[in-house]
Amino acid sequence: MIRPEEIKLSADQSGKWGMVIDQDICTGCQACVAACAMENNISFVGEADSGYGRSMHWIRIERFWEGEYPEIKMTPNQPMLCQQCGSATCEPVCPAFATVHSQAEQLNVQVYNRCVGTRYCANNCPYQVRSFNWRDYKRPEPLPNQFNPDVTVRRRGIMEKCTFCIQRIHKAQDKAKSEAREVLDGEFTTACAQACPADAIVFGRVDDPESLVSQLAHRNHGVKHLEELGTLPNVTYFKGG
Amino acid sequence: MSKQFSRRDFLKLAGVGAATTAILTGCGPASRLVRREPYLQMPEYTYNGLSTYYATTCRECAAGCGLVVRTSQGRAIKAEGNANNPLNLGKTCARGQATLQGLYNPNRVRGAIKHKRGDRLYDTAADPFNDEFPDAASNMDWDAATQVVAESLKNNKPEEIAFLMGMAPDHLFDLATDLANATGITAPVRFGALSMFESRATLNKAAQNLFGQSGLPFFDVGGAQVVFSFGANFLETWLSPVSYTRGFSALREGKTKLRGTFVQFEARMSSTAGKADEWVALRPGTEAMVALAIGRLAAESLGITTPKVFADVDPMDAASKSGIKLETLEHLAQMFANSNGALAIPGGAALGQSNGLAVAEAVLALNALAGNFGKPGGVFFSALAPNQTAYQQPASAQEMADFVQKMIDGKIKVLFVHGVNPVFELPAALNFMGATKSVSQIISFATFPDETAVEADYIFPDHHGLESWGYQRVATGSKESVLSGAQPVVTPFYDTRATADVLIAAAQLAGGKFASALPFKDEVEFLQSKIAPLMSESNGFFEAADINTFAAFFQQYGGWWKTIDGRNVPNGANALNRSISAAESKFAGDGKFFLVPFVSPTLAEAGANKPWLQELPDPTTTVMWNTWVEINPATADEMGLADNDVVQITSDAGVLELPVYRYPAIRPDTIAIPFGQGHTAYGRYAEKRGANPTDLIGQNYNEAGDLAFAGMKVKVEKTGRKQALSRLESLMGVYGVGLGEEH
Repeated sequence: MIRPEEIKLSADQSGKWGMVIDQDICTGCQACVAACAMENNISFVGEADSGYGRSMHWIRIERFWEGEYPEIKMTPNQPMLCQQCGSATCEPVCPAFATVHSQAEQLNVQVYNRCVGTRYCANNCPYQVRSFNWRDYKRPEPLPNQFNPDVTVRRRGIMEKCTFCIQRIHKAQDKAKSEAREVLDGEFTTACAQACPADAIVFGRVDDPESLVSQLAHRNHGVKHLEELGTLPNVTYFKGG
Repeated sequence: MSKQFSRRDFLKLAGVGAATTAILTGCGPASRLVRREPYLQMPEYTYNGLSTYYATTCRECAAGCGLVVRTSQGRAIKAEGNANNPLNLGKTCARGQATLQGLYNPNRVRGAIKHKRGDRLYDTAADPFNDEFPDAASNMDWDAATQVVAESLKNNKPEEIAFLMGMAPDHLFDLATDLANATGITAPVRFGALSMFESRATLNKAAQNLFGQSGLPFFDVGGAQVVFSFGANFLETWLSPVSYTRGFSALREGKTKLRGTFVQFEARMSSTAGKADEWVALRPGTEAMVALAIGRLAAESLGITTPKVFADVDPMDAASKSGIKLETLEHLAQMFANSNGALAIPGGAALGQSNGLAVAEAVLALNALAGNFGKPGGVFFSALAPNQTAYQQPASAQEMADFVQKMIDGKIKVLFVHGVNPVFELPAALNFMGATKSVSQIISFATFPDETAVEADYIFPDHHGLESWGYQRVATGSKESVLSGAQPVVTPFYDTRATADVLIAAAQLAGGKFASALPFKDEVEFLQSKIAPLMSESNGFFEAADINTFAAFFQQYGGWWKTIDGRNVPNGANALNRSISAAESKFAGDGKFFLVPFVSPTLAEAGANKPWLQELPDPTTTVMWNTWVEINPATADEMGLADNDVVQITSDAGVLELPVYRYPAIRPDTIAIPFGQGHTAYGRYAEKRGANPTDLIGQNYNEAGDLAFAGMKVKVEKTGRKQALSRLESLMGVYGVGLGEEH
């Protein structure tokens, strides 16, 4: 098992972004899910396709049941999104190099115009966080007026997933560069973290020991999902209680 | 207000005092509308790739959260919370996020329409997702529309004219109130399904009885150590969910104290109860008894004389009637008594019963025992909003029934409807639909083609909230007294017109006392007249010497608020020294099951036409795009019911057919149905989807006049049919399940 502090931060890992999610205060309200869809031009798929498991949530709130009535408990809500693995299982299986590791952001990126839709990556993702465009889902006029010009609109046959709002990262980096400084902690955040009314999601640089997300990620009770698979996820969870 | 003042000059001026903020005033007094240009033809104040941000107020519910909307080339791109606004501090709920899908909804009312009652307002299509779906065309111009409004004002007796309005926006309510006060028109009536399911009237009445003061209580969840909630779904839709969620977060994080404990008492585990450390599944109708029993046991545990209010209840009896073990009650009472920050909240379905007022009083009395009035983590009266002198209560269901009776008796000749959809939101048993037949003229100002607009003679559509001026008083949720300001963030997309402008123009046209009641050039001038008195108030978030600068700041920051705590401390001196009945509530109907209707946390009352809200999984069941009935798996087994089996539910008031969701966290004698779907109009994403549980609710009220919506007993019968529910759980990456057909 690799603990976060054992991951050596070498020079080429600078610029590493990460997230901490506190399940104890997540209320499962779905504000992050809506915010993500609004920010990232995600299609809605309708009742039939969503019932078939084709909905395109880049982030979803998982909840499980423990026990039986009357001794039943809902497990702490678990927002599940791309863990931006340091050693991602989706990457080596792509025949088109569409899902690759970005050296600059230390993120797991999806290159839409390389993707040929084999769906190998989704099959190989232990977190089940990739969604596939099974159709060209129609967004009738004037809904497209809402499209975020910073995010590519995907079409049928393309795999997609959470990008850690890479468009916001780039915007903040460009702004910082033009002002000859580093990006400040908390200067910007992802759409999900920005919306979260409980502040259960914290995003930032995990290679900066001073950042809030680093401070939180190194608390003792943080866990990484399925870390025994050696995927080196960049999202830390607090289980709560 | 100079006409020569260019927009750019105005922005420069507005920027002087606030160079640090990126939020712009959308529209100065000189240029009242933002223009939407093709991407190729850029307005002078935008730069390619750079966004402009406007502060405004969310209209998805009446809480009044501040928004900052990102726009690009005159299009609204993304709504975020306004970090300056003390109510939501930069945060939003899912419905606030989806507000743009209302603005750009493919089914809106596109212009003034003279309409035959019952006619559709958009075409039908076999495949609503893919076929063309034209909206009804406008068939009259706005001059003619204004004329119609003016004539109906002028040609009817004032007492035969009525305004029925929603909980938002407040500025239009103020305008209609001013008009009514000056001309003798009946005072506008406000209503909303959320306020009905929140049981606001009961909460207010209980506070009045206990503290001798009218107002909306504020519960400081964040400062408490132990929170007992009786039915209040404060993490979903109750009163001000974003602010209460922040409070819950503080309760749990315990930055300055221990992690707080949260206990929820209700028959069905709501998504709020899902977050509780303990969920107490009491028998519906025994809430008052349980609250009083906990009070009595807590007093005993503290070793004090049992206060009069708790003296009459027998904890053994309460335990057996509520189905809670006596040990559990004792343990909860000790937890409550021994905490130095105990708080009890009454709300939601617990109050929507025949004894709802007793429940609210009993739970508020627990706070008196804890002695938390006015202390951190305690009970307060919410701060009154800046231009408000008394708490304004929306109409209770009982008052709405009286209103409907007035319609039936022919006492209302002209009905103006704005911001509310009574045909859908009021229980069918109240017969609003039938009463419309006795009203000779109904004028709807609906933005969307909703069920009430379908029953109107004219539809004079208001702008969408993001295209509108206005303000909303923050009724509860912030320490400070807050007036959230709204301004257009985009040009109106269609040929709609602000209802305030229509009323002002019509009043001018009608002349006489109408004209002198609303002596304004337009809505903006009216708004400025309403916010002008704030300039002389102290402790404001900003100050300005003249109204133009003040109004510019008001737009730029998204409202005006005080920087001091404006909450009042309830006087609880007599709260423990009275009697409250511990009797169980009465249930209408002789069915086997208690019915708990609850507001869908993702759709609420008006979200059904936004496709992404439909596709958000319900937080507890993960069902999307439909309505279901929750039944305990053990009960379902007894009745031979599997998931997706359609059952027929019969109450005194009506019949519904719904697919079963075997919900593991509900009492075996209780079923629950979400409210939010079941539209027969309201656009392609809402129509013909799910069912409306208000069809099952009869005309039963509690002592405060709120609807006893959770006071029904219903029959459940298997129909033998199946209807597959679309849900997120268990389907992720699994093929061969789901709707059961190949795609």
